[in-house]
Amino acid sequence: MNDFTDGAWNFITTHVNLVLSDLGTHLVLSAESVAIAIVLGVPLGVWLGHIHRFSFLAINISNLGRALPSLAILAILLPYTGVGQLDVVIALVILAFPPILTNSYVAVEQVDADTVDAARGNGLTPLQVLTKVELPLALPLIFAGIRTSAVFVVATATLAGIFGGGGLGDIINNRESYGLNGIIAASYILIVLAFLVQIAFLGLEWLVTPPGLRVSRVKRSRRRGGAPGWPSPADLPDEHADRDRGEEGAASEDALAATRPRPGL
Amino acid sequence: MTGLFLAGGGGGGPVIPNFGGGTSKCVIDNGRFCWDWFTQNWSGTFEPALIQHIELTVIAVGIGFAISFLLAIAAHRARWLAPPVTFLGSLLYTIPSLAFFEIMVSITGINWFTVEIALVSYTLLILFTNTLAGLSGVSSEVLDAAHGMGMKPAQVLWKVELPLALPTIIAGLRVAVVTVVSLATVAAYIVPAGLGKPIFDAIGSGLFNTKFIAAGVLCVALALVGDGLFAGLQRVLTPWAAARRGAA
Amino acid sequence: MKSTKLFARTMGVGLAAALSVALAACSSSGAGGTGNTGAPAPGTSGAGAPSQSAAGLPSGKPGAGKPAIVMGDKNFAEEYILGELYSQALEAKGYKVTLKGNIGSSATIDKALTSGKIQMYPEYTGVIYTELAHLGDRPKSAQATYEGAKKWEEKRGFAVLNPTPFQDADGIATLKPFAQQHGLKTIGDLKKLGSFTYGGPPENKTRYQGVIGMKQAYGLTKVQFKPLSIGAQYQALDQHQVDTIAIFTTDGQLASGKYAVLKDTKGIFGYQQVVPVVKKSLIKSEGPAFSQILNAVSASLTTDAIVAMNKAVQIDQQDPGKVAHAFLQANGFLS
Repeated sequence: MNDFTDGAWNFITTHVNLVLSDLGTHLVLSAESVAIAIVLGVPLGVWLGHIHRFSFLAINISNLGRALPSLAILAILLPYTGVGQLDVVIALVILAFPPILTNSYVAVEQVDADTVDAARGNGLTPLQVLTKVELPLALPLIFAGIRTSAVFVVATATLAGIFGGGGLGDIINNRESYGLNGIIAASYILIVLAFLVQIAFLGLEWLVTPPGLRVSRVKRSRRRGGAPGWPSPADLPDEHADRDRGEEGAASEDALAATRPRPGL
Repeated sequence: MTGLFLAGGGGGGPVIPNFGGGTSKCVIDNGRFCWDWFTQNWSGTFEPALIQHIELTVIAVGIGFAISFLLAIAAHRARWLAPPVTFLGSLLYTIPSLAFFEIMVSITGINWFTVEIALVSYTLLILFTNTLAGLSGVSSEVLDAAHGMGMKPAQVLWKVELPLALPTIIAGLRVAVVTVVSLATVAAYIVPAGLGKPIFDAIGSGLFNTKFIAAGVLCVALALVGDGLFAGLQRVLTPWAAARRGAA
Repeated sequence: MKSTKLFARTMGVGLAAALSVALAACSSSGAGGTGNTGAPAPGTSGAGAPSQSAAGLPSGKPGAGKPAIVMGDKNFAEEYILGELYSQALEAKGYKVTLKGNIGSSATIDKALTSGKIQMYPEYTGVIYTELAHLGDRPKSAQATYEGAKKWEEKRGFAVLNPTPFQDADGIATLKPFAQQHGLKTIGDLKKLGSFTYGGPPENKTRYQGVIGMKQAYGLTKVQFKPLSIGAQYQALDQHQVDTIAIFTTDGQLASGKYAVLKDTKGIFGYQQVVPVVKKSLIKSEGPAFSQILNAVSASLTTDAIVAMNKAVQIDQQDPGKVAHAFLQANGFLS
């Protein structure tokens, strides 16, 4: 059992350069992938939500994405990209994209119709409605989707070690040189990293939430229980909410449920 | 200098048979996907891998559900159980899968048992959370009515709460199945089973593209089929949502 | 003189082997009346005995009723083949073998061995000597390597059976045009490149038979290591992602003529015959036929044989089990 504490700590202190370098690569890979997914997903999702079209696609793509097995995607891409970081980044983008798209879509689509009407009534152009009304109200949920993707990407980037991509997976995949101590140490670091990313994005979400909405969001999550960030019952289809919000609400609730965080890979 | 015991030094060495020549150009050039190789090796390589993958998944989700179900029923009565179980489940959830498998190997050896322990651990959080949420979601009016009818607690559980919780439970099973299908590919790092085996084999012997694409596509297909099955089941079990969908 | 000692030891072992074979023939159940007293003792087969490796094989099913065997193999094609060769040959003689393939590289599989998860696996003598035993000196011959490895394993409770004729050492290769362009013939020539990339399995980063040796023996201090799974290196080299790669000297890909293997003038990669490393208690419990079969299989593995089998698996994508089966069949191990 010493392995789990002393051994791991020992490993980190004796391999500081290696750990830092792998950690750096890991973060860069993850950041690249999430950034690309954001650039691809947010504008598209926001626009679709604004024009209220293709809801079936936008909502179900996260169901599809959630089902994709990570290693399989990496394997399918390998013949096309060769061994190395390109394979990993493309795979991570594919896996990060769906929750971001769906959340962006739902976030904008669900902005209260009355509010939008009022804005229109005040003479705002559709573009202004989008940028001054819909987006600010949608930002928290968009960020929630990015958060889910980011945590998942950080965890899955570990598989890069098998496909020559570097990162903390290199240590986990190399039991030869680094032993069980290395594996355990790298796991701790990954768990802490995932936690930090979670916290960082939660903080960002809080920052971009218009003050008026902050109170009600906290109240809602407290009522339904569950720790912030972990899959809470709030993410699940709830018959009461379904009945209150109507069918669209139910569909989007399902969609949001599909953007739950996935286990570390 | 060679071995101490040399078979037939000058005798010409062992017979080296033809190992099945007539390999297609596609295979030798490692083309994107060699359909002929795939069909030839379906029953020897891919079919067993697919079946094993399904077995790994069914066992993990089955056991995970059994454990989570019991825990959820217990937590439904004793609320204080929920936070610690959720915490434990979350913790297990975050451990990187490759690391989890490797750590378990040093404890329980290189076998399916080891792999299944890890896979089951990953299902606990979602199945427990969903089952509990489903049970908790039953409205108090319905419960009052049931009590009013004179039902005992056990009857209330089996005849009222569980049926109403079923859609949520199925939703959890859907996620669990898809999660395990994905993780079971990594399991091949430890035991030579499942659709990860052709992938890891290919990594260790020449990066043969057909193996990657065939195993990868089969795995994605399996995940989507599993997802679709449970999604369908969910729909079937929520007739009121279906009615609304029809009316809209 | 070393050679006299060797000869004496060979005769001694050969005699002991012949004796135990005779004893086994007399006492084995259901093995048939005459057993194989006609077969030449392994020690003398170098002297013009028939080249068919079935020489030295027990007849019948001496394995019937013996305890089950758990065998492992390492994470690359040649090892998959070796695992299949040994396990199928044993099974043909009635033994019950479970083969746990693709366990990992040396340190991992050695851990599996010492912790009892497997009872035997094929290993390379040089790897045992330098990377597992960490014996600091560099043996000057395959024999010395074998003996050192054997001594070390025996101290730990594992027997080392006869080595194969073929050797498969690590090597360093580049693309032929690259080698010509930079005038690279030996590993030492890599110094001309200044800083260069070297792709290989992760463990090579910390091995003497890898980066450490390159730095210490050849002074290649500017090498940049890039971890690649075994089998991925050739593709990475083809795509110019690395300058040099780690190869195995019996790899099927080397026959293509595209690659230049650099000479290991300082011998950092050592002598590397394959030996079955077996738990001592297993040798006892499985009976003498067990070792005989393994030794007979090993004896048949010449460089040509293993390269042909590697090529079938690595290039032609044949299944290692089928390839092993075909080889064993052609050489009378499965009758």
